[in-house]
Amino acid sequence: MKGKKLYFLIGAFCLAIVLGGCSFSSGGDTESGGEDGHDGGGQVTVDIFQFKVEFKDQFEELVEIYEESNPGVTINVKTVGGGNDYGQALTSAFNSGEEPDIFNVGGPPDVDQYEDYMADVSGTKAAEAALEGTLNSVERNGEILGLPFNQEGYGLLYNKEIFDKAGIKAGEIQTQEELEEAVETLDSQKEELGIEAPFAFPAKEQWVMGNHLANAFLADEFDHDVMEAYDSDSVAFEMGDQMQRFFDLQNDYSIQPTLNLDYSQQVEEHFSLGNVAMIQQGNWVYNTIESMDPEFAEENVGLLPIPVEGYEGRIPVGVPNYWAVNKESADEVVEASKEFLDWMYTSEEGKQFVVDEFRFVPAYEGYEDLDIADPLSEEVYRYSTEGNTMGWVFLGAPTSWTEDVLGAAMQEYISGDITWEEVEEQSIEGWEKSRQ
Amino acid sequence: MYNRSLWFWLFITPVLLALGIVVAFPFLYGFIFSFTDWNGLRVTEFTGFENYRALFQESEFINALIFTIQFAVVTVLLLNAIGLGLALIVTRKIKSNHLLRTIFFMPNLIGGLILGFIWQFIFVSVFGDLGEMFHIEGMKGWLSTTRTGFWGLVILTAWQMAGYIMIIYIAYLENIPKDLIEAAKIDGATSLQRFKNVTFPLVAPAFTVSMFLTLSMTFKIYDQNLSLTDGGPANSTQMLAMDIVRTAFSDNEMAYAQAKAVIFFLIVAVIALTQVYYNKKREVEM
Repeated sequence: MKGKKLYFLIGAFCLAIVLGGCSFSSGGDTESGGEDGHDGGGQVTVDIFQFKVEFKDQFEELVEIYEESNPGVTINVKTVGGGNDYGQALTSAFNSGEEPDIFNVGGPPDVDQYEDYMADVSGTKAAEAALEGTLNSVERNGEILGLPFNQEGYGLLYNKEIFDKAGIKAGEIQTQEELEEAVETLDSQKEELGIEAPFAFPAKEQWVMGNHLANAFLADEFDHDVMEAYDSDSVAFEMGDQMQRFFDLQNDYSIQPTLNLDYSQQVEEHFSLGNVAMIQQGNWVYNTIESMDPEFAEENVGLLPIPVEGYEGRIPVGVPNYWAVNKESADEVVEASKEFLDWMYTSEEGKQFVVDEFRFVPAYEGYEDLDIADPLSEEVYRYSTEGNTMGWVFLGAPTSWTEDVLGAAMQEYISGDITWEEVEEQSIEGWEKSRQ
Repeated sequence: MYNRSLWFWLFITPVLLALGIVVAFPFLYGFIFSFTDWNGLRVTEFTGFENYRALFQESEFINALIFTIQFAVVTVLLLNAIGLGLALIVTRKIKSNHLLRTIFFMPNLIGGLILGFIWQFIFVSVFGDLGEMFHIEGMKGWLSTTRTGFWGLVILTAWQMAGYIMIIYIAYLENIPKDLIEAAKIDGATSLQRFKNVTFPLVAPAFTVSMFLTLSMTFKIYDQNLSLTDGGPANSTQMLAMDIVRTAFSDNEMAYAQAKAVIFFLIVAVIALTQVYYNKKREVEM
């Protein structure tokens, strides 16, 4: 009975196409936005379709502020929850003819899919202010097709209190050996420190391993450039040995069994409650930790770089998402959309809001004198402005390769079905097959 | 006669139309899409049987297919055994039988997603702690291997749907004429003989119904799969429905997923029809 949903979904999808087709043929003058533009005497309506549930309320607040100071513009915000659901909803929005004027895209594969709809935003102030490298994955034929949301960075989050108690100085951990030593110290004092294990390694989550862990050791061979990964026919695992070593370290010294440990257990149950000393995550977990224990979040969470040879003291920082403006919308709507995005990221009012309310790590210049709201983001921004970063190349990997191929192989490795060599072989094969 | 056929068509048109719009037409459309390279937004070329050729060479799809078949076989047997068992219990003259019926049916009222999360907690945390306490290795690390993932899914599904199947059996059991049973009793049949030779043949139609239901239900399971194991570890507990959804929405290969869905449909249709055909033959006319 439940499986009927699937049929329904597929059915609904096809129906959406059919109906979408009808509305296309009935003439372009009923296109969203356009009609309001003509009838309301200079009124422009911009429909935004965005995926970040975490900042929905704050974003709507910002939109209200903008509407007050710009009476000619009405902005409708629609939010659909992260990850796959958004892609799905966006595809059906386009199919049904209810195309949004502003929408979100992730990495290069998304850009490929929506390229025909994405307007060139290179003339905007925001595009000029974007930090170097943040626009790489949305550049096509000299046009800039998107504006970065924010920056995110990750590494090993550690519990400062536990580190202090164990007498470990986080600042001195630079190399793989030093990290191993620290982990062994923690492991030997488990009882006294009141922890279950040094790490919580959520091997159930393919993205934690396939996206983030692997990225730290793959960034080098793609020159930290997501586009280079995107154009590459193969992957070599040049730092495969180091990757394995770091992987084993986390897995061996984690709460067991890792294969049924998930993201929420890792962050909420184990890290926030002090069951473990370290987790591999990024600044996006701050709000979750804060909701568990505000004091701990504020005072006791530190960020330690993943030890990669030649890149000691650097963390991977990247842009997870972009704003895109729909080229097919009426001209005045496209203009209004660009103006809104510009205002959000480059006006004083907007900047303040982005930092204070959205708690973003800005991907733009001109935020130097603003205080970043949470300590983790602050740390990420510090690494980023000091240039101590590595690229986020995993967004350039073939679609779903990071999870379904690499992540799945890593899980098989943990369950002892295959060796690390086979993990690499399978992953290389999978990459090459998708890029043929 | 003319009048009657006018009314006939008048009444049936809305239904036909609704069925056509939401079932037949999308189905045909999807069928056509499976021969193209549709990516959700546009079709650039007609690829013929390319998608179908590719899917039989894809190990993930084959694995999902095998896993689903294994799951369906085990679950269907278990579900019908438990369903019939429960029905036999609650049709006896025991005091609390109405209360029991409600209780057995209850799991069926909870959504599959939520059940999945509840059982995930039971399998991972409760089982883990019990295993720790009594030093039973087999109870630790549930859902972290393919085997425990498989049995986790079987247990969850059996627990959830047994109550529903029970209701079907109850309906048939209560319809068995008392005189037949009585006659058997007078003839000196033991209770086992009565069950085997009287009750069982008479509930055969119920088998047809519930086998058909459970078989198609277990084949099409998605939400329990998603929330309990999410296909893990290493996508080894991923069932067909889930593989199709992932192909469509994570890999963004809509047409390819559509081809898989067509194959999926054919498999379910063939199994279900064959099974109905054979079970019908076995039924006893009263």
